[in-house]
Amino acid sequence: MSQFLELLANGVSLGCIDALIALGFVIVFKAARVVNFAYGSLLLLGAYIVGRYHDSLGFGGAVLLSIAVTATIAALIGVVLLRKVRLADPGTLAILTLGVDIVLATDLTRRIGTDLLTTGDPWGANVIPLGGGVHIPQTRVAAAAVAVVLVVAFLSALKFTDWGVALRAAAERPATAALMGVRLGRIAAGAWLLAGALAATAGVFVTAFPSPGISGTVGQIALGAAVPAAVLGGLDSTTGALVGGLAVGLTATFAAGYQDQLAFLGRGFGSVAPYVVMLLVLLVRPWGLFGGREVTRV
Amino acid sequence: MRVEPLLRVRDLHVAYSGALPALHGVSLEVPHRGVVAVLGANGAGKSTLLRAISGTLRFAGGRVVSGSIECDGRRLDGLDAAAIARAGVVQVPEGRQVFEDLTVEENLRAGGLVTGRAARRQARDRVMELFPVLRERAGQRAGLLSGGEQQMLAIARALMASPRVLLLDEPSLGLAPRLVERIGEVIAEIHRCGTAVVLVEQNAAMALALAGTAYVLEVGRVTLQGSGAELAATDEVRHRYLGVQSGAPPSRHEQLREPELVAQGISVRFGGVAALSDVSLTVARGSVHALIGPNGAGKSTCLNVLTGVYRATAGSVRYQGKEIVNLRPHRIAGLGVGRTFQNLALSASATVEQNLLLGRHRLTRAGFLSAGLRTPAARREQTAQRRRVAEVASLLDLNGMLHRPVAALPYGVRKRVEMARALCSEPSLLLLDEPVAGMTAAESTRLAEAVARVRAELDLSILLVEHDMAFVMGIADEVTVLDFGRRIASGTPAQVQRDPAVIRAYLGTARQEATS
Repeated sequence: MSQFLELLANGVSLGCIDALIALGFVIVFKAARVVNFAYGSLLLLGAYIVGRYHDSLGFGGAVLLSIAVTATIAALIGVVLLRKVRLADPGTLAILTLGVDIVLATDLTRRIGTDLLTTGDPWGANVIPLGGGVHIPQTRVAAAAVAVVLVVAFLSALKFTDWGVALRAAAERPATAALMGVRLGRIAAGAWLLAGALAATAGVFVTAFPSPGISGTVGQIALGAAVPAAVLGGLDSTTGALVGGLAVGLTATFAAGYQDQLAFLGRGFGSVAPYVVMLLVLLVRPWGLFGGREVTRV
Repeated sequence: MRVEPLLRVRDLHVAYSGALPALHGVSLEVPHRGVVAVLGANGAGKSTLLRAISGTLRFAGGRVVSGSIECDGRRLDGLDAAAIARAGVVQVPEGRQVFEDLTVEENLRAGGLVTGRAARRQARDRVMELFPVLRERAGQRAGLLSGGEQQMLAIARALMASPRVLLLDEPSLGLAPRLVERIGEVIAEIHRCGTAVVLVEQNAAMALALAGTAYVLEVGRVTLQGSGAELAATDEVRHRYLGVQSGAPPSRHEQLREPELVAQGISVRFGGVAALSDVSLTVARGSVHALIGPNGAGKSTCLNVLTGVYRATAGSVRYQGKEIVNLRPHRIAGLGVGRTFQNLALSASATVEQNLLLGRHRLTRAGFLSAGLRTPAARREQTAQRRRVAEVASLLDLNGMLHRPVAALPYGVRKRVEMARALCSEPSLLLLDEPVAGMTAAESTRLAEAVARVRAELDLSILLVEHDMAFVMGIADEVTVLDFGRRIASGTPAQVQRDPAVIRAYLGTARQEATS
């Protein structure tokens, strides 16, 4: 029982991080109709900057720098690279982001080299006892708290501000939104900026304890969580990203926690389990849990 | 001295990529506080003109080649759509295009993004007064509104920007006469409040009644211009767009045979809402049966049950003696029920011929492997299929355009392609969903002839849903009238036209309009 509770607590907190990652993935798809495969390496970039500069700037300063730089680079990718081919086929744009991802990830891996980079966060390896022998790392509690605050702020902005209305209008009918005076280029740039900031924030928590530190594979791991979370929630739904993120975090944690009982499925089933859930959801609801169903009025 | 116009279009040339030029030297002036109507058949370039003014040509793959557009002395050509909207020239797009996932209130807010807080509040009060129904529905998702309500929301949304010039693209398209009248009143009211209006319309009676100046476009050129009253009096306009001097109705099928389709007691419920209650109708073999009724009466729902897109909660549908209710759509299509779609179900990037070949899918025997390997049998079959497609195309005057992409064709022609696609599956029963919506009187007369020709040559039974009463009364052997999901009358066109319930629900206003 206590193992179950511990896995539940860890799963929920990991799910919060995954939800943040998926949110950044979905927001770019929603506003700019681009499946952003460069997202994993943006997250790695965010973590790398914190890892490099926390000694000189302090943890807080390094995080702020990381958010600023990552958001700027994301916006540059969105505006400069993709602007040239703005009306191109979504498949082409996705492949372009894949190219950006490879370049960025390769360069960062080279820079990290053999260094043992950590985020230098103030929570370290401390754990909080929840009673009954259940423990949860402090970093995970911090991650969950930050995720909740960011998500609530984001959803309220989407619901109540002019920016949110403009973004949702542009997502649904770009040409009509332009007729209403919505500047589509700015909306897309804003979404990329936001995605970059979310990637940097999530990057800190993904690489903090109990993860071993910052390495070149972090980006792939993050994308491996973002894709099933976003797809099973529905690619264009922010609510879907949150629910999908939680589902992925819980699934991965439980599958890893009970791997002795699941040994007949092979070792390392935990990293595949989210995809199994995604496929099961897509079998029943091909448009995802909350995604815009391709409704055709006939 | 001459007063400067508010909006001036000078010698405008527009071309779409990969297609012929769409506008050749169009000039047009909109005076301050004026209403200007732009008339013309499908493909004349009316929508293109509005797209050029509002800066949305690039979404349709077009561009301004030469000429200028000025609003109050400021050049608009070259600006993007958002900048033009911010300059006070706001368009209500064709086909409403409300943001369906946003609430009514949020749609209005999206329209007012370009103005300040105070102006927005004022504009909101004004549109709520103009459209009380939007106040009642403020918290609802716009996708749940009926077609007429969505049109009102689209106009209200544009008014939220407090525009100096309002561009309206076919606001009456697909609406029942009662609603068309209401939209006309609203436009008159907008004009009274000082906004200049450019109105692109198929409904010439409404447009000419409102317009100070009117232009007639033909194949990308202005061929007539003058005051609304002047144009309404010219023979050409009366004949073409007002449908005066209508030809004799096509001859009726003499002998009616055994029923092709018998629907009994169909009911459909969406959640708690009854969309259809206990509707029955019979389509006699070889006849044309029309299903009419005001917006929201359940006509499209009925068609969707017959084709298996929606499931009926109760009732039975027998086609050639076989029960087909709640079969899957592809099974029903496989039995020989073809249909066209109101919003067109064509692949825009494919050519007309490719679209029509898709219509022959159920009759194509070559499988994935033999077609891929181009076996002799598959090649022979392909040749035969192409020959048949060409025959069907010629029935609907489409021979010349088999190799043009559908996206490059005007709306009226696409509707004929849609019908040809349905015919390509060699149906025995053809269902037509609003075949003439958005067509001019002349075009709908041509389509009526085509329908009569097709029925005679291919020995079809036809069930059609349509708003255009003149079209329906000229072509149908039998008419069933729906209102609020119930059948309120059925019989021959003459019987239905005399039925007091029908006159109350539908024809009352149409009659007045025709005689006024």
